[in-house]
Amino acid sequence: MLRGGNKKNRSERVLTKSLPMLMGVIVFAVFLVWSWSLYTGWAPSPMVVLTTGVIVCTCLAAIAYRAKRFRPESDQERVHTLEAAVERYRNVIDTAPSALVMVDPKGSICLVNRAVERLFGYSRTELLGEPVEILLPEAARGHHAAYRSHYVSDPKPRIMGQGRDLHGRSKTGASIPIEVGLTPIRMPNGTYVLSAIVDLTFRKQAERELAKKTAEIEAAEKRYRAVVDTSPSALVMINSDGKISLVNQAAEQLFGYEDGELLGQEVEILLPKSIRGNHVSFRNHFFSQPEPRVMGQGRDLYGISKQGDEIPIEVGLTPIEMPDGLHVLSAIIDLTHRKQAQRTLAEQAEELRRSNAELEQFAYVASHDLQEPLRMVRSYTELLEQKLQDSLDEKTRKYMHYVIEGAERMQRLISDLLAFSRAGRRELERDPVDFNKVLSHVVTLLRATIEERPGAKVTWDPLPVLCATESMVVQLFQNLVGNGLKFQGDEPPRVHVSCEAKGDTWLFSVTDNGIGIDQKYADRVFLVFQRLHERSRYPGTGIGLAITKRIVERHGGEIWFESQPGHGTTFFFTLPMHPKGQKDPPI
Amino acid sequence: MTKRVRPIEILLVEDNPADVDLILESFEESTTPSRLHTVSNGELALQFLNREGDYAEAVQPDIILLDLNLPRMDGRDVLAVVKSDPQLMHIPVLVLTSSEAEKDVRDCYQLHANCYIIKPAGLKHFYQVARTIEDFWFGVAVLPVPP
Repeated sequence: MLRGGNKKNRSERVLTKSLPMLMGVIVFAVFLVWSWSLYTGWAPSPMVVLTTGVIVCTCLAAIAYRAKRFRPESDQERVHTLEAAVERYRNVIDTAPSALVMVDPKGSICLVNRAVERLFGYSRTELLGEPVEILLPEAARGHHAAYRSHYVSDPKPRIMGQGRDLHGRSKTGASIPIEVGLTPIRMPNGTYVLSAIVDLTFRKQAERELAKKTAEIEAAEKRYRAVVDTSPSALVMINSDGKISLVNQAAEQLFGYEDGELLGQEVEILLPKSIRGNHVSFRNHFFSQPEPRVMGQGRDLYGISKQGDEIPIEVGLTPIEMPDGLHVLSAIIDLTHRKQAQRTLAEQAEELRRSNAELEQFAYVASHDLQEPLRMVRSYTELLEQKLQDSLDEKTRKYMHYVIEGAERMQRLISDLLAFSRAGRRELERDPVDFNKVLSHVVTLLRATIEERPGAKVTWDPLPVLCATESMVVQLFQNLVGNGLKFQGDEPPRVHVSCEAKGDTWLFSVTDNGIGIDQKYADRVFLVFQRLHERSRYPGTGIGLAITKRIVERHGGEIWFESQPGHGTTFFFTLPMHPKGQKDPPI
Repeated sequence: MTKRVRPIEILLVEDNPADVDLILESFEESTTPSRLHTVSNGELALQFLNREGDYAEAVQPDIILLDLNLPRMDGRDVLAVVKSDPQLMHIPVLVLTSSEAEKDVRDCYQLHANCYIIKPAGLKHFYQVARTIEDFWFGVAVLPVPP
């Protein structure tokens, strides 16, 4: 039984109906008390009579009221009660958070609540009597009647279209994600179906956002994974127990393990057996004082592959604080190739040293052993010439002269070739060299040549002091100035040396007023034994400029010339102001 | 300058007979009387200096002309032995060689050679060098008197 509701109305009604009867009862009670007092001779005061009457009356009224409660209601009262109940149900239905739609056996909507109005945007009157399909997307309407009759044939409370995404359609045509619970209600005129509709818009939206976030996180994770995996360094991360918590492809490849095989293993699996024991304490020590550093600096580190091969490695350690505690990331670089390259380099250096030593030996042989027989040829021919002086005829004397001259030339060739080879091999000693003093010295060395040519003059502008190998610089200027004096026509030879700063190099020039060089020989003049003139006119072995070029290049400079045949030549060469390193290895 | 009554005794350590002859030739014209004793390798040089074997009667030379590249024991070794032997170290050793190598020059002086001469190319120069040696070592320089 439902009670409450119009309590006030009801008690008013009861009171109005029973008031006359109550008054009668009171009068009757007072009469009874008075009669009893006459019969017993008890003479109470009228006040007592009245009070007793009222008490008795109240008791009777209470009895009467109790009796009335068990009295069947009248039809009118029953209607009232039912109306109240319906009102209550409507209130409950209307305030329910779920949208409720009841459909009659014909498929028409016979009940909707406020939630339905809110959800679908229709008013109640627009929906009542309409086919329930009005609430479905157009695409789903066709099949719905069949679903509905199928449901009615075996009606059980269940969730509609389980596993599928259901959508309703609002008045404006918007699609609304929903979940629908179906409850059959049997009535004499057929089965009604109550649909409880839950709006999934927010849940779906939340799901979508969650999915999006998850996807973003997954994408980020994938990106990092890709970065980690494509890193050329092998990366291995361990937790504080020394277990491998992350490993990239490079690390798996380096150590020869399958995909994921290393995860969860102790990191010592990657170390040679002999150092595994010590490594545990090293590792614990590192975790107690975690700071990025290179492992075992100055020592040769080795890892061990699954196949048991030792791999020379370099390891950088980086502590990383993670939600599940401190981890250490090891970036491992495979030094196999580097070591191999170092070995190859060392071998090549050794090879070079050997071949240099051989060249040295050759140079020595050339200077001594080749010169020796030539000296004999020359000296004894001269001795013969001297001894036989008087008995020699003109022709024989000429032939002997050829022998001497040939030997002489050969001696010069050998010593020039030797100088050329020395210019390439000799170690550079870079000390400050005053180029003005060099020029003075060169003029002294060339004094004979200068004196041979009347009016010959060598001049120079103030020259810088720079780090170079003095003996080589002397030879350089001796060759260039000597050439300037040598390759001359009939004019008195003039050679001038000047120098200017060009950026971080000095540009030197040696200018003469000689016969000049045709530009088409620009490349040839710097080659060994290349001569442009017949020996009788301009003697020489043709090696001077080759030596000059070598000296300039060894000092980090370049050499070239500009010339107009008949109008002299200027040789230019550069030398760096700040030579790299104090020493550099021989070529 | 001291006037000598006896000739200068020269030990020439030289394996090349042609050079020996050339040196003999150039010293023949010397104004200072000298005697040239020739040995053809390092071992014989030391035997001569120590008066061993065939050289028991040899005199101690006043000066040694030493070639560097010799068979068996080369000039550097002879130089090292002479300059570390108290009986011999006072004898001036003139290295006379065709080697122009800077290393040889330095090494010889480090071994206390008294001078280093490169055998000149050409007879004229050869004679000149011989003259210069004579002038300096037999004339200008004063040599120790043998004990």
